Amino acid sequence: MNSLLYDTYTIFWRELKRYKKSRSGVLIRLIQPAIWIIVIGNTFSGTEPLIQSVGFEGQYIEFMAPGVIILTAIFTSIFGGVNTLWDRRYGFMNKALTSPISRSSIALGKMSAISLIAALQASLILGIALAIGVTFPNPIMIAPIMAIVILFSLGFSGISVIVAATAKSQETFWGVINFLGMPLFMLSPALFPLELLPDWLAAIAKLNPVTYTVLLVRELMTGVSEGGISALLSIAVISVFVLIMVGLASYVFTREVNKPF
Amino acid sequence: MLHSIETKSLSKSFGNVKAVDDITFSVESGEIFGFLGPNGAGKSTTMMILTTLLKPTSGQALVSGFDVKTQPKQVRLKIGYVQQESTVDEYLTGRENLFLQARLNHIPKDQIKKRIDEVLELIELSDKQNDAVVTYSGGMRKRLDIAGGLLHRPKVLFLDEPTVGLDIQTRRKIWKYIKKIHLEFEMTIFLSTHYMEEADKLCDRIGIIDGGKIQVIDSPQNMKKAMGNEVISLVIEKFDDENKFISKLRTIEYIKKINEDQNKIVLFASNGTEVIPKIFQMASDLKIKINSISLTQPTLDDVFISYTGHEIRSEEGGFNRKREHAKMKRLRA
Repeated sequence: MNSLLYDTYTIFWRELKRYKKSRSGVLIRLIQPAIWIIVIGNTFSGTEPLIQSVGFEGQYIEFMAPGVIILTAIFTSIFGGVNTLWDRRYGFMNKALTSPISRSSIALGKMSAISLIAALQASLILGIALAIGVTFPNPIMIAPIMAIVILFSLGFSGISVIVAATAKSQETFWGVINFLGMPLFMLSPALFPLELLPDWLAAIAKLNPVTYTVLLVRELMTGVSEGGISALLSIAVISVFVLIMVGLASYVFTREVNKPF
Repeated sequence: MLHSIETKSLSKSFGNVKAVDDITFSVESGEIFGFLGPNGAGKSTTMMILTTLLKPTSGQALVSGFDVKTQPKQVRLKIGYVQQESTVDEYLTGRENLFLQARLNHIPKDQIKKRIDEVLELIELSDKQNDAVVTYSGGMRKRLDIAGGLLHRPKVLFLDEPTVGLDIQTRRKIWKYIKKIHLEFEMTIFLSTHYMEEADKLCDRIGIIDGGKIQVIDSPQNMKKAMGNEVISLVIEKFDDENKFISKLRTIEYIKKINEDQNKIVLFASNGTEVIPKIFQMASDLKIKINSISLTQPTLDDVFISYTGHEIRSEEGGFNRKREHAKMKRLRA
């Protein structure tokens, strides 16, 4: 156990070092969510009466800001595993595999680094949201919001690591990731309240862990809860999702890296 | 004496392709053993089995006394593995890369700094240690890679084509470092190469591998001795009675071995100066035109040709390698 933690930290340290050295990447990855919050946030401001009809007081941009924070977390973490493919192609993986560290610690180290990076990116978006006028009733809430974003991103980094370990090429990886990422974001109340979705879409959205994360973060940011889903239920759903993904990712990763690349 | 590496009927197949075909050999503790062969001969596959990256299809391999199949964790504690391509993180500094390697290999925390200083000194990179690796030359990267493989003082160090893609001066420098670390740490070194000169300069013993099989294992000196004292190379004009000519050549008592490759005939002989006139006599009897003839001392090149029947050709090997890669990809799909 001790060595699992030690080894996980080794990989985590390496991933974060690499992230720190790629400064341009940090900014590039912020452009898309920034466009979302600025363009969509203002474009849909006419829907405020609809939002207010389900009990949300305030501007549309305040309603959707938590959605864009989660969008950032989703995409940063689901893309994050791609360097697994590089590591296998350029030998770092073999170096790690011939050293005494366990296979699952490689997966866990990558996932924890990805989720921290996703949370960092999300916090930058939160900063942008605050800068363009989204208000925060209780600034202390930033801490639990960040905790939830880290936890949620850990689950999504698991998806990324699974796809990266299974895919043999970049093309497969990006194909699968794009196929997964957008629908998971769209099938959630990130941009639109759950109550206003058609029943069948709402039913699908309720199977999506993104839904619970968005609702939870929005409740923490604005104080309004929706759809009769309690914070406790959301936390439970997210935790189960994360546990399953972390377990599955370590298992799949260990199985896949033992095959020749 | 305990063998550092021992294999028994080791085989590895990818689908129908036998990459490693029933090889048995052992490497003594403390020696530098070279695996010599063209690309696609099975060197890398063997090395990947010995370093626990691939499971053998059949047979057994022991490294430092542990079975690679059933005790991979113990094997990993005993080995260092320096891959063919550079595996250092470009945007990290030299020192950071070594720190990462030290942690990967569970070097005790209080010794990490000392060990890193030590290997940096050894490979003469101390003054560049805080520069990002992206600014390093190819040779410096290779040295850093080798340093990483040494940090935890492995019992067996695997070097997969340590000088491939480096210019000749850099190559010589790397050889110097390999000799130095061998002396300093008294470890067993198992290296693969397709450079004759490299095998000749560095290795105590060489195993020639081709088509997944080991053709011969011996010291470079013995191999050259076994070839006779001289090598006669003939280039003749193509003709029908070739076999007749070859079988006539075989009757010359000093000729130990004959290899033919299209219109080139290579003879290994013990008394070349007396053999050459006889060759001319036979050729003129059969009305064969000799385009050129040369008499040289045997090199490992000749040894290689005599065992495999062809020269080491990197270009052709490169092509094969691509094909092998595609084959392996298809198998997985």
